[in-house]
Amino acid sequence: MSKLNETDIQGFALRGYNLPYARYVFLHFEDAEKARVLIGRLLGSITTGQRWDGGKPQSTVNIAFTYGGLVALELPDATLFSFPPEFQQGMRDRAAILGDTGLNAPEHWDEVWEGAPVHAWLGIQAQTPEALDACYGELFALMGETGGAIVLAAQDAASERIAGKVTAREHFGFTDGFGNPDYLGVERSSQPGQGKLMPDGSWAPLATGELLLGYADEAGELPVAPVPHILASNGTFMVYRKLHQNLATFRAYLDAQAPLYGGGVEKLKAKFIGRWSDGTPLELSPDAMDASIVADPKRSTNFTYGADADGTRCPIGAHMRRVHPRDAFGFNGKLIDRRRITRRGLPYGPFAVEGEPVTDDQDRGVIFMALNANISRQFEFVQQQWIEYGNDAHQGNDKDMLMGNHGGRGKFVVQGDRSAGNPPFVCGNLPNFVELRGGDYFFLPSITALAMIAMKLVDPR
Amino acid sequence: MPNQNGSVYGLTILSPIIDDDKATPSHDLQIRRYLAALHTDERSPFALWQESHPNSLQDSRPGTHLARLVVMDDVIYVGMPACEEHLNSKYLIFEANLDCGLNGDLDAYLRGLAKTSAEHLDAIWSHCVGYPGAGNVNAFVSYMKACQIETTFFFAAVNDRTVSETLRALQTQKAVAEFITDHQGMEPVRLQAEFVAFAARVNAAPTPRAGAMEAAMVARREIKTGGRNE
Repeated sequence: MSKLNETDIQGFALRGYNLPYARYVFLHFEDAEKARVLIGRLLGSITTGQRWDGGKPQSTVNIAFTYGGLVALELPDATLFSFPPEFQQGMRDRAAILGDTGLNAPEHWDEVWEGAPVHAWLGIQAQTPEALDACYGELFALMGETGGAIVLAAQDAASERIAGKVTAREHFGFTDGFGNPDYLGVERSSQPGQGKLMPDGSWAPLATGELLLGYADEAGELPVAPVPHILASNGTFMVYRKLHQNLATFRAYLDAQAPLYGGGVEKLKAKFIGRWSDGTPLELSPDAMDASIVADPKRSTNFTYGADADGTRCPIGAHMRRVHPRDAFGFNGKLIDRRRITRRGLPYGPFAVEGEPVTDDQDRGVIFMALNANISRQFEFVQQQWIEYGNDAHQGNDKDMLMGNHGGRGKFVVQGDRSAGNPPFVCGNLPNFVELRGGDYFFLPSITALAMIAMKLVDPR
Repeated sequence: MPNQNGSVYGLTILSPIIDDDKATPSHDLQIRRYLAALHTDERSPFALWQESHPNSLQDSRPGTHLARLVVMDDVIYVGMPACEEHLNSKYLIFEANLDCGLNGDLDAYLRGLAKTSAEHLDAIWSHCVGYPGAGNVNAFVSYMKACQIETTFFFAAVNDRTVSETLRALQTQKAVAEFITDHQGMEPVRLQAEFVAFAARVNAAPTPRAGAMEAAMVARREIKTGGRNE
């Protein structure tokens, strides 16, 4: 496996930028020719995967297209029809497959997902609000100048700052952002627990083709991809989901359950996801937070569930254990290597410290973006089988405690032992702590592919 | 007994479909059309199930765990390096995992089918060569057994339990989960009293009807199966 051509791959696919401010802008193309001119003019501004030897830039720009966007850009029919069906359909049409029903159904989504269809996602991230505005201002001016796109909506998101320091906390108070997978050829500071589990217990990078099109995947095959190869290669698919968080409901539920649970409120909360609120994995430290583990990249994601088959440390249905089961399903983890996704995203909306009055109506949540080579096999499988169902984890019909579309009738079992501080417990009558407010499936092309789209050079023959 | 695993039977039947170029639509298409309109849940004519009583846990009356009917036209040539082969006939394949008791009593199951679903069986198998009709039960059973081939290997994730036992177990599991959720933290004397009453209720409850457990699911699955399942 040779080194990837990082200058041809959008940086967003290869790296979490760790920039605290973001604006995700949704575009509509009215005129194909003008839209192509816009993309051509944008080319030089797109952030690639090239390493930042000179330090982080003030801002980054990335772009991705819906199927409707590629149609609007007049890609050849033979190319369009070669895209995977789930991408052609888009996320709204996949609602029944994803369990996006009831409160999560498209009728409850934000306005931008109705009416004039979203053709493109423009992701801007920045070090400061000023840099974000400046970058957006330039791009907005370019759109006006070229007439290449109109802005349907813009979604701002930002990390929480505590005492001036950027954190990885989300609204419920958990620490997010552990354990994105490693891939062959992608240079980054990797740590044990982030790739795939090997028979000897070590961790190795996943095949590049689990993330990028045009490379062998874990089955030794090329992922399903559009033609021509050069359009697909070094690109990936992105899932965008705006996840509203019902913070008042979450806090009230926790307050109601905690007195019934013998392990205390902090531990109960940790059992929900498998990590204490500071990020300490329950598997490594079941009784207390341990900042030294969180700070140590050799330990913070380095664990398996084999010795905890009963879930007495980390519950079998805990969020983290569901979506990245490591060795929990046996076969040395082999069953999960084709179900991994790379996650990006940031919280949006005002943060509320504990005790501060909150309501569910307040606009807050997390922008969740997943990158994968095959939306159907990777993201959709995880969402359908591991979030909205529990059979693989031997949790029957139970859904993911935090993410599940429970409709007030969900159940989550906290396995325990005979000690007073770690009793078994059942959380019943689960409401929806998280509600989907919209999103879609996007194609995040390589720099070469972007240029070919801009120059109308895409030719499937 | 390769067709049998404990008290679960793996049935495979291959019935040759009538080849008549004057029939329009052809017999295989007529079977396909009929199968496409059948229910795939407990309302399926192949979903044999009988009410059992709470205490008859050894119930061995016929029950269907799973049944599948497929029309097989031919062996599909998939290109080099495979060699091209063809079947002598089109076949209707009927596969089922069913309760047969420890004696492997297939006859009881086939008789049960003939009794409850004769109309459907005739509508499907009348397109097959030599089918005698389900009205003559003995001839029907003989015909099906003549078309039977050895299953040799089958997957039956039912832990050697009958359909009735499985339905009952699901009902108990759900009730216990709800009991725990509702009684956590209760002081022991009262909890014990409640549990004794609860256990008596559960034991006395009738076995749920086939399909009833899905309807009673805490959160019913509305999810459709995805497209490709690599």
